[in-house]
Amino acid sequence: METAVDVLFSGLSMGSIYALVALGFVLIFKSTGILNFAQGELCMVGAYICYYFATKLEVPYLLAFIAAVVLGCALGALIDLLIFRKLVGEPVHSTILVTIGLASILVSFTGLLWGHDTYSINSPFIGKTFTVGEMIFSQASVATIGVSIVLFFLFIMFFKKSLLGIALMGTAEDSDTAGLMGINVKKMRMLAWVLGAFVASVAGIFLAEQSFVHTGMAHIGIKAMAAAILGGMQSIGGAIIGGILVGIIESLAANFLTDLAVGGFHFGDVKDVTAFVIMILVLMIRPHGIFGKKEVERV
Amino acid sequence: MSRNFKVSYKEDMALLQNGWQKGWLVILVLTLIFVPLFLGRYQLSILNEISIVLIGALGLNLIIGYTGQLSLAHGAFVAIGAYSSGLITGKLALPFLLSLPLSGLIAAILGLVIGIPSLRLKGLYLALGTLAFGFIIEYILQHWDLTQGDLGMGVKRITIGDWTIKTQLEYFYFLGTFAFLSVLVTSNIVRSKIGRSFIAIRDRDIAAEAMGINIIKYKIIAFALSAFYAGMAGCLTAHFNRWLVPSSFDISLTISAIAVIIVGGLGTVLGTVLGAILITGIPHAIVYIVDIFQDSYPALSGIVVEIKLGIFGLVIIATLLIEPRGLVGIYQRIKVYWKTWPFKY
Repeated sequence: METAVDVLFSGLSMGSIYALVALGFVLIFKSTGILNFAQGELCMVGAYICYYFATKLEVPYLLAFIAAVVLGCALGALIDLLIFRKLVGEPVHSTILVTIGLASILVSFTGLLWGHDTYSINSPFIGKTFTVGEMIFSQASVATIGVSIVLFFLFIMFFKKSLLGIALMGTAEDSDTAGLMGINVKKMRMLAWVLGAFVASVAGIFLAEQSFVHTGMAHIGIKAMAAAILGGMQSIGGAIIGGILVGIIESLAANFLTDLAVGGFHFGDVKDVTAFVIMILVLMIRPHGIFGKKEVERV
Repeated sequence: MSRNFKVSYKEDMALLQNGWQKGWLVILVLTLIFVPLFLGRYQLSILNEISIVLIGALGLNLIIGYTGQLSLAHGAFVAIGAYSSGLITGKLALPFLLSLPLSGLIAAILGLVIGIPSLRLKGLYLALGTLAFGFIIEYILQHWDLTQGDLGMGVKRITIGDWTIKTQLEYFYFLGTFAFLSVLVTSNIVRSKIGRSFIAIRDRDIAAEAMGINIIKYKIIAFALSAFYAGMAGCLTAHFNRWLVPSSFDISLTISAIAVIIVGGLGTVLGTVLGAILITGIPHAIVYIVDIFQDSYPALSGIVVEIKLGIFGLVIIATLLIEPRGLVGIYQRIKVYWKTWPFKY
């Protein structure tokens, strides 16, 4: 058993990664109406690029980080340009199926390019810790939480204060009217993909910091979906709080249930499915999430 | 084209619209009965694989293609069917003929746990709920002593009365008959009141409701039917492979099944058949081609296994971008072209 502070802290650092991924997810969903099942794969690609630069090419960590984020954004723009720009107006389920296809393409080709083994990024945080009184925190987790908070703050300010952010919100609200008001809807959709890929890459690199780089890390996208649903699919603040809640619940579940066995059933790595149980419970009890508004359908 | 002028309702609803179709069907059935006698074990095993994939994909097409609800728990239902049948024939020692419908039923009933709450809601909730359901099922299979997780679980051969299915040829006649029956049943479902309700819900749910279709009821019927098909496909998979591990029923199974129905054409039975043949055939065809280059590039066959899912992903995206109606759409375009050739239609 770890102490309560340890459990909460690891939950918080994992939760801020979920929140980042969920944020990208909500950004894309709000502005384009596409439920992006490839969000986790975008994280994975970001982490792999960072690994490639930092460990293989031995570029300084900060440069590798920037390169990964920039290339991740470029990938987001490319995806919009090549695929989703052509699918505007198609039924919702076909756009989702395209993202599922995209997810499997990204995983296979990343695996083909860099291999399916596990790697670690050559970062300045490895093995370093902070000590506050009796408690020890890993620097990577502290950095994750710190950068996430800064990013959340920047994003909220972006949507509240900047013209571009307001234009993006307008496109999300009603793309036809936004177009009539002189907003370039195509550019806004692309911007949403770029921002989504941006937070995904950052989240992917931090996730790799806490564990390793491998193709299985794409799983985080689906877990973050649970966070987005918990917060309400339409709300950016909801995604952040949902992500942190999922992280903490997961950490608690892992702490209390892992060694349990009930009638031939071993809980084991219960961490892997906690988010999915939360997702199903939310769908059953409050499908519009904590902050989402109940949708009213007009004929 | 006006030769096909229907004068009665019965004629319009007929399963086979004209003499040509009847003729082709007879030829197809005769081919399927006699050609396998001349095939080797490997070719027969591909045909068997196609039959099983087809049965599962028909169910998936009912929910995605006909009703327009996105379900991503196909792999989970196949897994439930497979493990149910493995346990029913193994631990309970019940006959196969009983366990086949039972495994479908169990999949359908477990599916309703997630289907009923998600289907009450509009939009993408079913996709998310079923996705989560799939991961939870895989986790349970991994961690339950009964299913033995990664250690794997052995399954008995199919025994019907005194007949035990042993060779690939026997498997083919059994699975092929079963796949044929599934196609027949599905074609009948989709032209009945139930099937037309599915299509109405897909095309305009509010209009369908206004016309007196109970949307929630029919969505749940579609979902349960699709789980039933997948469960039976799982049961057949279990007795065909005779060895079960949870990881063979993960999300990649769902993706390949989705590839089947999209490539063939959403909302058509013919398309599902074509898609099943193509998607099951692609990996085998690639392996065949790779074998030729094996000597010069030994690492190639490993790569093919790795990118199989990526190829399915490409196929899904390419179909949706270029011809959303799939192979059936291409076939219809060609047909129209030649009917009016050399004039443009």
